[in-house]
Amino acid sequence: MASPLSNFSLLTDDLLFRILDKITSTSDRKNFRLVSKDFHRFDSIHRKTLKLLRLEFANSLLHKFSQINALDLSTCPRIDDATISSILLTSRFSNSLSWTLNIKKLVLSNATGLRSKGLELLMRFCINLEAIDVSDCWEFGDLEACALACGLGLREVRMDKCVKVTDVGLARIVVGCGKLERLSLRWCMEISDLGIDLLSKKCHHLRFLDISYLKVTNRSLFSIASLGKLKSLSMVGCSLLDDVGMKYLGRGCPLLQVLDVSRCNGISSYGLTLVLKVHSGLQQLGAGYCFADLSADLIYSLKNLGSLNLIKFDGARLSDSKFLSISLYCKQLVEVGLSKCIGVADEGIIQLASGCVNLKILDLTCCNLITDIGISAIADCCTNLVSLKVESCNLITEKGLERLGHSCLLIEELDLTDCSGVDDTGLCTNVHDKGLSHIGQNFSMICELDLYRCEGIRDEGLAALSGGCRKLKILNLSYCRAITDEGIQHLSNFEDLSVLEMRSLINITCSGMTIVAAGCKKLLDLDLKFCRNIDDSGFWALAYYSRNLQQINISHCGISDVGLCMVLGNLTCLQDAKLLHLTKVSVEGFELALRACYMRLKKVKLLSSLRSLLSAEILKMLQGRGCKIKWH
Amino acid sequence: MDLKNRTVAETWAKPSSSAKDLPKQLTPDHRSFTSFNNQQQKWEDTSLLDFNNGIQPPFPEFNQTSKAPQNHNSQIKGPDQEDMQSNETPDSNRFQDWDPRVMLNNLSFLEDKIHQLQDLVHLIVGRRGRVLGQPDELATQQQQLITTDLTSIIVQLISTAGSLLPSVKHTLSTANPAIGQLGQLGGVLFPPANNLNGGVPQQNSGGSKVSDQSNQIELTENCGTEQNYAAEEHEAKDDDDADEGENLAPGSYEILQLEKEEILAPHTHFCMICGKGFKRDANLRMHMRGHGDEYKTPAALAKPNKDSSEPMLLKRYSCPYAGCKRNKDHKKFQPLKTILCVKNHYKRTHCDKSYTCSRCNTKKFSVIADLKTHEKHCGKDKWLCSCGTTFSRKDKLFGHIALFQGHTPALPLDETKPSSVPSDRAENNESKLGNIGFNFSASASSGNAVQNMVDVKGAVDDPTAYFSPLNFDPCNLPGFHEFPRPSLEESDGSFSFLIPDACNYNQKTGGESGSNDLE
Repeated sequence: MASPLSNFSLLTDDLLFRILDKITSTSDRKNFRLVSKDFHRFDSIHRKTLKLLRLEFANSLLHKFSQINALDLSTCPRIDDATISSILLTSRFSNSLSWTLNIKKLVLSNATGLRSKGLELLMRFCINLEAIDVSDCWEFGDLEACALACGLGLREVRMDKCVKVTDVGLARIVVGCGKLERLSLRWCMEISDLGIDLLSKKCHHLRFLDISYLKVTNRSLFSIASLGKLKSLSMVGCSLLDDVGMKYLGRGCPLLQVLDVSRCNGISSYGLTLVLKVHSGLQQLGAGYCFADLSADLIYSLKNLGSLNLIKFDGARLSDSKFLSISLYCKQLVEVGLSKCIGVADEGIIQLASGCVNLKILDLTCCNLITDIGISAIADCCTNLVSLKVESCNLITEKGLERLGHSCLLIEELDLTDCSGVDDTGLCTNVHDKGLSHIGQNFSMICELDLYRCEGIRDEGLAALSGGCRKLKILNLSYCRAITDEGIQHLSNFEDLSVLEMRSLINITCSGMTIVAAGCKKLLDLDLKFCRNIDDSGFWALAYYSRNLQQINISHCGISDVGLCMVLGNLTCLQDAKLLHLTKVSVEGFELALRACYMRLKKVKLLSSLRSLLSAEILKMLQGRGCKIKWH
Repeated sequence: MDLKNRTVAETWAKPSSSAKDLPKQLTPDHRSFTSFNNQQQKWEDTSLLDFNNGIQPPFPEFNQTSKAPQNHNSQIKGPDQEDMQSNETPDSNRFQDWDPRVMLNNLSFLEDKIHQLQDLVHLIVGRRGRVLGQPDELATQQQQLITTDLTSIIVQLISTAGSLLPSVKHTLSTANPAIGQLGQLGGVLFPPANNLNGGVPQQNSGGSKVSDQSNQIELTENCGTEQNYAAEEHEAKDDDDADEGENLAPGSYEILQLEKEEILAPHTHFCMICGKGFKRDANLRMHMRGHGDEYKTPAALAKPNKDSSEPMLLKRYSCPYAGCKRNKDHKKFQPLKTILCVKNHYKRTHCDKSYTCSRCNTKKFSVIADLKTHEKHCGKDKWLCSCGTTFSRKDKLFGHIALFQGHTPALPLDETKPSSVPSDRAENNESKLGNIGFNFSASASSGNAVQNMVDVKGAVDDPTAYFSPLNFDPCNLPGFHEFPRPSLEESDGSFSFLIPDACNYNQKTGGESGSNDLE
């Protein structure tokens, strides 16, 4: 009876819950609940969020986890009015509707099949709802906005890319949800100054506002300036705004902490300075692709901002002296974005690294003057670095990277795409197996690796990689043509792998595919474009094992009618399929396969020649479920 | 001494108070003239007589006549009376804008006023001597009364004097043939026959020296229009917009009045040779060119009376409709600027609205241009608020919504519940759930949902059933209480090419390792 588990039984519930609080990773949580029935029970009581991957289990899960306060249906296929009502109906019959009362946050992004009736039903049942995310529901219009407005207690609404919502819909939400604190209207192109003006007049509690890519003018900024509690304002790509609007902003919004004016072509350095001089509490500043030259005045005004921890000056011209100023004024910087900046050289990077030792995320994409000296400086000073992007920095060699690997142990993201200067023992196009083994040894925490067009990589390299980097989630092996079945089977060691790109791996056959599919159970996104040698049996395996697959690209593959039907019919989570140039598939095959999955698909890419060949009925069915067909 | 002073004070108090009451009673309710007269008499009896008794002999002739049963031709003085009689001829049915008798009346009114002023000043002078020993309170009170009366009289003097401005020049205007004819009668005109009764008491009350607290002009005109109000109800709308229009001094312009037939005639300019009619004289001149070379000269083609260098008196127009505010006899007469204004005004307010909008079939117009303007916007971009108010412009709607709590824009196809959100606010959660619960039970009665699921699952096993067009009807989603099929059941089992093992996936992993589906 002295099993180690019995010790745990001594722990009180309270303590166990505290332990559970610390376990954040989903795979760890899974291991935890597999320990015993008690643990499983604790886990279900403790669980606060639920992300449904497939609808079949919705009711049993919702019944079991009635205490959850966040429900995520974004990756769930087939969310539409009928299913929503069906879930509620079944819950009603089994007297388990209590979950609706506990739900505070609902994620419905990408629920393209949902319409106003279903949404309204949800809103009326989940009366305590505080946050809702309906971004990327591109079919959503004013009717759906009206349904959202039924949520009287809503504090957070995200409706990015709900392109059909107009001022009227926004007005409904604004009037209905007076407690609104966070609102994201990114890409809601129909919304104009009138809507923003009304928003500013009605929602005084607003703290977070995103109006990126809206066609709003300075008048909107004038209205927004009256929002006394606003902390974060994002207005990326609002090209109609200019310095006058920034002047308004300088006069209002006293609590502003986050400001993003990237890609606002109308705003100059001077306009931004007007805001910076007033809002000394600013913590994050995004000004990428905004102005060509950073004025000395602007850099100087950074001095005011004692708590600034993020700046993005992508695309600007920066000289070494400006780096000196930045490193002097902004000691607290955690994230710096200098992608495509002109004039960034080692001198500047050394200044920056020596000044901002807390740096965690650094983007130096296309700063091609940087050499190993700069990278070494970063490696020496910024030991907390988590992410480094040095795409197209051709002068960097393996020496710099080695230095980086030795000192920055926390690194999770490293982008070395197109670093052609790196030779045999280094990385990138010339990356060889030795490089990969370096990575495998040094970067144990790495979760994303992009080896696009690293043609030197062979099977041994992958083997070395799979030995070390167990946490890898995203892997790009496209055009690493030397890889064969032998090497690809090592991928099955990456249990957490969710995104895998293996374009044009022509040496991969069905056997390799089968092993990958069987090993990487968590695969969500798979790109098999140009993998010509994978035949139907490989896809059979895919259809059988990769239950969670949500996106697939099988263009130019040797799949046949049956294989396609298998894949599309069995992958019950599949929502996005790219099906171009499938030469072995007949029109009937397409028709049948699409019928098998029309309920789930949200996006499908097809050859435009099929447009006239496919029956009008299937196209109508697809579109009726909110599926977007991209004709290529 | 005390007692006497008090009574004097009381009599002082009365006229001032009734003076305030008088205009109020007069203007809003157009009571019949007799009652008006009665009131005046009463007023006279109570205060003015007393007041005058102490200081000056009253106007005995007036009092007598006003007490007489027939009080119409009461107190008109010699020349006035003759004028009036001559005017009583039935053919004098035209209005004239300037009336010498009115002027006379005004003058005599001024005379009276000045007399009253004199009396008041006398009184003050007399009082000064006596009041010295009085308590301050009473003295100041009396002083206030006197000064208010003084100011009111002076105000009336000024306003009446203003109306005496010379207006002779336009009396003999030949614009209106009828007026011209009457002008031959000595330029003395009189209201039309049907207005005769009104006209007489108008003189009567105008001549009465009693009405010292109200504006003379106003009073007479008021009386004059009373008949019109009695004769026909006037459109309230026209009365409302009293503010519009220019503020021209009464005599500074010439008033023309067209006949109804003239206004409604399709053409106003006729060719002297062939008789063809035209709307514009420019068109007529163009037409005339065809009748000979003499009409092609620049002089003939030029706009007539353009070169008349003599300063033209401003021309303004009166509506022939009696009682209309645009009619020159209305007490708040507002002239119309152009003939086009006259035409549009007359058609809009005094004619039937015969043009109906073909789109909405509700709006009617009497001017065809109005219809066309309306049709441009009819049914287009109607911005509707949840309170039912419509706006032609979006920004106006949003301004409205910003102003009022709880108002929201209504959607054009808004038949769903959200419009009733504010009312739902009051309901508590339970009732809401109950409400929806009712729907559930309704659907359950129509077909047991669980049963339904099982049935359809059975049907789904048959591939042909799966492909039946009935099942492929996802577009028109029904209300949530009528589902064509249960959506939670996997229908993939119908595919013969599916891996059997895979089909059992649900059963295998459904329970414990449903955890697989969590994240």
